[in-house]
Amino acid sequence: MTLILLLEQIFNGLQLGVTLFLIAAGLTLILGIMDFVFLAHGAQVMIGAYAAASLTALTGNFYLGILLAIPVTFASGYLLEFLLIRHLYRRSHMDQVLATFGLILFFNELIRIGFGPAALFSSLPASLSGFVTILPETPYPVFRLLVIGVGLACALGIHLLVSRTKIGAMVRAGANNEAMTAALGVNIRVLRRLVFAAGACFAGIAGMMLGPLTAVEPGMGEPLLILSLVVIIIGGIGSVRGAFIAAILIGVVDTLGRVLLPVILRSFMDQAAADGAGPALASMMVYILMSLVLVVRPSGLFPPKG
Amino acid sequence: MTLFHILVDGLARNRLLVVILAGFALFPIYTGIADLPFWNDLAMRIMILGMAAMGLNLVLGYGGMVSFGHAAFVGIGAYAVGISQFYGLDNGWIHVLISLLACGVLGLVIGFLSLRTTGIYFIMITLAFAQMLYFLFISLEEFGGDDGMSIDRADFMPIDLWEPLRLYYLIWVALLCVSLFLMVIVRSRFGVVLEAIRGNESRVEAMGLVPLRFKITGYVISAMICGLAGTMFASWQEYVSPDIMHWTRSGELMIIIILGGIGTLAGPLLGAVAFLLLEEWLPELMHVVAPEYAENWMIIFGPVLIAVVLFARGGLIGLIRRIGGGGS
Amino acid sequence: MKRLSMAAVAAAMVMTGVAQADTVKVGYMTTLSGSAGTIGKEMQNAVNLAMEHTGGKLGGMDAEVIFADDQRKPDVAKQLANRLVKSDRVDVVAGVIWSNLLMAIHKPVTRSGTLLIGSNAGPSPIAGKDCHPNFVSMSWQNDQTPEGMGKYMQDAGVKSVYLMAPNYQAGKDMMAGFKRHYKGEIVAEIYTKLGQADFQAELSTLRAARPEATFIFQPGGMGINFVKQWHQAGLDQVSKLYSVFTVDNLSLPALQEIALGVVSTQTWSPDLDNDMNRRFVADYKAKFGGYPSYYAAQAYDTMMAIDHAIAKAGSADTEAMRAVLAKGGIPTTRGALAMNSNQFPIQNIYLREAVLDADGMATTKITGTVFENHADAYAADCQF
Repeated sequence: MTLILLLEQIFNGLQLGVTLFLIAAGLTLILGIMDFVFLAHGAQVMIGAYAAASLTALTGNFYLGILLAIPVTFASGYLLEFLLIRHLYRRSHMDQVLATFGLILFFNELIRIGFGPAALFSSLPASLSGFVTILPETPYPVFRLLVIGVGLACALGIHLLVSRTKIGAMVRAGANNEAMTAALGVNIRVLRRLVFAAGACFAGIAGMMLGPLTAVEPGMGEPLLILSLVVIIIGGIGSVRGAFIAAILIGVVDTLGRVLLPVILRSFMDQAAADGAGPALASMMVYILMSLVLVVRPSGLFPPKG
Repeated sequence: MTLFHILVDGLARNRLLVVILAGFALFPIYTGIADLPFWNDLAMRIMILGMAAMGLNLVLGYGGMVSFGHAAFVGIGAYAVGISQFYGLDNGWIHVLISLLACGVLGLVIGFLSLRTTGIYFIMITLAFAQMLYFLFISLEEFGGDDGMSIDRADFMPIDLWEPLRLYYLIWVALLCVSLFLMVIVRSRFGVVLEAIRGNESRVEAMGLVPLRFKITGYVISAMICGLAGTMFASWQEYVSPDIMHWTRSGELMIIIILGGIGTLAGPLLGAVAFLLLEEWLPELMHVVAPEYAENWMIIFGPVLIAVVLFARGGLIGLIRRIGGGGS
Repeated sequence: MKRLSMAAVAAAMVMTGVAQADTVKVGYMTTLSGSAGTIGKEMQNAVNLAMEHTGGKLGGMDAEVIFADDQRKPDVAKQLANRLVKSDRVDVVAGVIWSNLLMAIHKPVTRSGTLLIGSNAGPSPIAGKDCHPNFVSMSWQNDQTPEGMGKYMQDAGVKSVYLMAPNYQAGKDMMAGFKRHYKGEIVAEIYTKLGQADFQAELSTLRAARPEATFIFQPGGMGINFVKQWHQAGLDQVSKLYSVFTVDNLSLPALQEIALGVVSTQTWSPDLDNDMNRRFVADYKAKFGGYPSYYAAQAYDTMMAIDHAIAKAGSADTEAMRAVLAKGGIPTTRGALAMNSNQFPIQNIYLREAVLDADGMATTKITGTVFENHADAYAADCQF
């Protein structure tokens, strides 16, 4: 493991991290402001990916496809909140778990019926298929750099929105104390709808970024959902800043864990044992990290006060 | 109150549970006459799943602790049989003992570490432990990894499980024991305190009790019940693999509890009946109604769950109570 | 479960010969719902096509196929198996995609005296020490295909190989099979997470190691992700990619040109040159719009095997059918299939490359034969 390789892996971790952040940002606000356990957030990722892939196929232009997919995803989140989610705010967490679990099943089947169960063909336009030499002898795919860029831009955007605008102030107040915010005359209902739709939108953007890299298929969002839940737990529910830091942390830890653990283990275990234990431990890494954080700081690293 | 009085009182209060248990006891007579022996398989699956759900319900429904990790205990109970047989230990009674012990100890450790948190954090940390166990068992090549282990029906001397219906009634007796046990516990001081903790933990603390002790005890008991269910499952399926521990199986247990009715004794069992029957019949229904979409039956299943949440508060038990005009 | 009464189909066709009074029932178990439903659908299509080709009969007797959806859950599979055997009283249980599901139903079905024919999975315990005479495989033993790859690379003089598979039993079996014949340098043996979507980290490490060849087993969506990212990382310039069960007719529609040139080994390919296969592939393409995958071919072969067994045995009696199948010479899309002593096929393992056909559709083409009449490594452990 040379230094160059290590740096490249950190880059990879960064890319995973910003992708996780896009998904976790919405989720932490939904959970923090509305106290709503939205298990179907992974479905939003899937909807975004499918929207972008099909609109790209329709228009023949990758950039246009993404540009059009963003409002589509926003609208889907808005609609979902209006039709169903707002009826569930007062219910217990358990009820929300059950309802959103049902939603996952529903969305996956809907996509399966609409687009078929096989993975959709999605690829990159020539303009994004090249490489950039970011480090000596290290060609890095342009598209992945774009993903990092988009992720950081969104993070900056969310930060500015939340900390510099009036809406952002209302969102922060809502995360802290919803009743009081409502008492101050803020239209909580519309605020919730916007937050929900925005969360869906960012998750969808994550899906759009992932589409060309991975398989666009039903259920593609579920594995990311679990990881995002871990991110917001570590970061502190309701805290976007916490989500960002935790996401980058998890991205880097997960990536480095996967590549370094087998090597480390092999230095004091025999080959076969290391090959067996390495991946298992790497899979557990993130959960172990979360458990450690919770033992030391039961409310996460940056919980919003109040 | 003697134990006898407590039991009779419990049975009187839980008429629905008694009815369901009686139903399961008599069911093989019906399937025997109607020559539908395979329905016994479905019934056994329901009883086992219901048992596990009842175990989880103790902490989830009564104790208010939403644990996403209880499928792991079911898995441990099943692997107790597999691993014991791997080392030549065939006695079913010993399997049960090993399973209860293993789940008890594991439940104690996980419970102790997890119960420092509450709410969504608790949910996540239990999920984390379950995932860790899942990945651990996948990596244990010795015990088949994710290909799993073949299991022989255990030797429950003097009962010969190969005789027809012996396995069925063994599972039924286990279910009966769990039901009676829970009946007693729920009405005992322990149960009352546990429920009080769910309502208002600080008030319980103010009374001079240590909530954590009650929560951990409840957690350990529920883990052991799930382990027992797993042990029965191993003999039924004659096979065990790590996917029995996956977090989605925990999710299924939760769905079953909510479907039936949280915090009731009969709820989880009723929920298991409903859930497995839905899983059986929805696909068949789809074949009749919309055959091209027969494989997509989950598109109905999802909204059914949502509908239950929206319109059937308190699950099926709640529905029954409303129809029956309260009582029971 | 869906009942497809082929007796009705048969009646609509012009038949010669005497129709038997009994109806042969086949219980075909596969995964039809959920994320793996594509595979089950392929198998179902192939089974239906086979029944069309045999005129709705098996071995001259009227036949009925009952499809059972196992939802990829071992307990559902077990319950379905019990129902097929005890209630529907099928003469044969066939199908099963996944090794763990096959392990779950193997004992109950074989024990009941019903013939169990495997269309896909071939875990080593069933081929070896836990074998049972009532099980016949119409697919392969899990290790065979990667063994072919190992031999090919050894013979071709490939000096160094980088191995990657998901961290589960099948992944480990694949790599073990490969190493049985390949004796060159194994640069690294990496096990990735099951269901992993992003391989950039592993690909970075791979590029730094610069192996001559890379051998992967990444079935399903994992394979699509991997090959996409391999291509995007420009690794074609660094190392040659070889695979098993990764780049095939199921994943090629999602990959298309990206996967061109990837070499794999397999016991079958759509361009295998024999009458049955030509008819099968042509009719499958015409009816279902796309090349069949090996899952479909194996499912088709399963039905053809049952047809052959009943015809030669003169009845649907389990022992009689088994005896016929054990003798080998079964007409399949792979030619006349021979059988090993543990009732697993002895067959050729071909080298294939992903190419574009005349219509621009991505498919695989055979470029050589690695093993002729290859037998699995576990037959000696099997004592009936």
